[in-house]
Amino acid sequence: MTAAKTIALFPEASFGAALNCVGIAQELRRMGARPVFICHPGFSGVFSEYGFPEYQLGGGTGDATDWTGFIARHQDAFRQSPDRQLDSYVGPTWDAIVDTAITVEAPLRQLLASLKPDGIVLDNVVMFPAVANAGVPWIRVISCAETELPDPDVPPYLSGLGLAERGRWDDFARRYEAVTAPAHKRFCAFLAECGLAPPPSPSFLDPSPWLNMLLAPEIIRHARAEPLDPDRFVFLDGCVRQEAEYQPPRFASHNEGPLVLTSFGSLGAMDVGMTKRMIEVFADMPCRFLVNGGSWSDQYSSVPDNVYVGSWFPQPSVVAQSSLFIHHGGNNSFCEALTFGVPSLVMPYCWDGHDNARRAAETGVGRSLDRYRWEPEELAGAIRSLLLDEAMRARLQQNAVRMKAHRGARRAAEGILNVVNRAEAPRRAAG
Amino acid sequence: MSDSGKPNRRHVELAQKILNLATERGMASGERLVEQSIATLCNVSRTPVRKALQVLAEQGLVTSDAEGGYRFAIDPAMVPGLDLEPSAQAEDEVHAAILRDLAAGRIEEAQTVAALQRRYGEGRLAVQNALLRLSEDGLAERGAGQQWLLKQFAISSDAAAASYEFRLATEPLALTMPDFRRDATAILSLRQSMLALRRMDEDSFNRKLFDRTDFDFHLLVAKSCGNPFMAEALVNHHRRRRAAPSGHVSTWRLMQSNVEHLQMLEHIERGQMNLAADLMRVHIQLSQSQRPRLAGRGVPSAFKIVAR
Repeated sequence: MTAAKTIALFPEASFGAALNCVGIAQELRRMGARPVFICHPGFSGVFSEYGFPEYQLGGGTGDATDWTGFIARHQDAFRQSPDRQLDSYVGPTWDAIVDTAITVEAPLRQLLASLKPDGIVLDNVVMFPAVANAGVPWIRVISCAETELPDPDVPPYLSGLGLAERGRWDDFARRYEAVTAPAHKRFCAFLAECGLAPPPSPSFLDPSPWLNMLLAPEIIRHARAEPLDPDRFVFLDGCVRQEAEYQPPRFASHNEGPLVLTSFGSLGAMDVGMTKRMIEVFADMPCRFLVNGGSWSDQYSSVPDNVYVGSWFPQPSVVAQSSLFIHHGGNNSFCEALTFGVPSLVMPYCWDGHDNARRAAETGVGRSLDRYRWEPEELAGAIRSLLLDEAMRARLQQNAVRMKAHRGARRAAEGILNVVNRAEAPRRAAG
Repeated sequence: MSDSGKPNRRHVELAQKILNLATERGMASGERLVEQSIATLCNVSRTPVRKALQVLAEQGLVTSDAEGGYRFAIDPAMVPGLDLEPSAQAEDEVHAAILRDLAAGRIEEAQTVAALQRRYGEGRLAVQNALLRLSEDGLAERGAGQQWLLKQFAISSDAAAASYEFRLATEPLALTMPDFRRDATAILSLRQSMLALRRMDEDSFNRKLFDRTDFDFHLLVAKSCGNPFMAEALVNHHRRRRAAPSGHVSTWRLMQSNVEHLQMLEHIERGQMNLAADLMRVHIQLSQSQRPRLAGRGVPSAFKIVAR
């Protein structure tokens, strides 16, 4: 009898990547493998809730926090256009990502040496030399928007530009490369120290030589000038975790109205003022609204009768019952909406949310709305039009059937185990 | 018993007691319920037993047989709990609505029956009964004059963390009280349900049955501790915990929690109270959500503070 394969999943410290990997790990567990999670410093507790062992990397900076400064800095940046965010948010974020990669290298190497995984799943935006040097296959999961993998016919990553704005692509790409250049230079020097060849600028992570998996469902996928090698690049058509059923609360009014979920992720929830402004609009609509208030849920008082503010929702189970999902364009949220045939109203504030907002509108699976610059009637109108768009709903429902049949999380798990088994066969024959 | 002969709350409670007795005795689907034996065991006359059996029959849990008696149509250990009679539904709805609106900040802590009647469009009796239930659950108390005071602190977002803190300080202690008395019958009944839950997988896991066994298990620890003050504090706390809306917990965690309950129950049975107390500490700590409050690409780890 062969021992269960240990698969170490190493998602970046964001809920999207983490919960996407939970879906894959659930399938790996069903297939008899032993999935374990490697957690960035401070990012633990998510996976144990789903029954997976967690191994936290050292290198955290302690608990001294300046919440006020952090929130003010980010909230200002989140109000800007993708172009202006290059300096205020994207550049500093890449600096922080490179810092993390360097900080966790030694503990990650030690952890992998003791875990002895049969394969590593990396759902991140940056390479970790310890992963490349672990001596086992590593599989890359791209849980961001498809734009993360560049192509001459795909708009530049994080630009929020559409196909119709091709004339602006090069300028944005040049500015992106310039902004990330210092971090990239530092990162290349670090990789060289670890004996790895650097990825070409402005990329921080090459595709895996074994297997790469992208979420991008067919309905929003780009036509590439340079098609991806189907043996090495697999589209999962979404990858949704299994959650317990969700019973919506009984609202104080409009209990027969359509259910609308609003969630901007844990970072997006910190702008309480903006969400309160939205709730004022919700109060006059004949719908039920579930609002993810995250860690700031206590700051909502006198909530209207048709609104319920919670600090956490089992999102897939809620989306499945919703008629509309208002979100920030996080790729996991966007894919969940598509998986359950629910239109998206995307109000992005950073990173690939801009790309998904544009893509939602471009492909007719939802609409985008500036997160801050809207009048109450504009927001209400966008919600009404999406709820009443029967043609869009029918198309999304048909697509949902296809996506569910594709079983993205299962395919991911099968792909991972195939790679691991293939890599082991020659070793076993030689041994 | 009501004059109309319609089942009332007491009949429902007796029906639940019959289910508990049957579970303790390991009765299975198809087994016959003997009216006189039940009356003797429950220390009541046969008339209320007959009413209670009718309640079970109406809910499809027992079926009448050719001899005019009743047989179990299901495994009694698998019943999460009985639904209340229809007349209690209005009171139930007001009870849930008060908690929901209090949590959302839509109503003040100080209320009167008349004000709540106007808000919910229900009769005086339903509102009064709902307030009495909230009071029994420790979520409301009578104020001056006509006023009732609702306890917002018990359902705020900090309440869960404060509750775990309180339980961590008290429940292991309850297990190691010198006069702790094991209730063998209750332990047997609980074990049946816990074993049934352990046989379920993630897809079929019965969350309602878990909720019942979770409540019954922690109540068992409280009631058995042998110190009336400790017992009262814990029983009140668990009642309040059950009545107040709680956050979402993954099925996997509930499955683990059930296994932890079983392990503690086994140690209690064997009299290994220090081990049971240690497991209780672990159990409570594992039950607290350790999810980061805020996370994102490039967010420094110092900001990924977990919920208290």
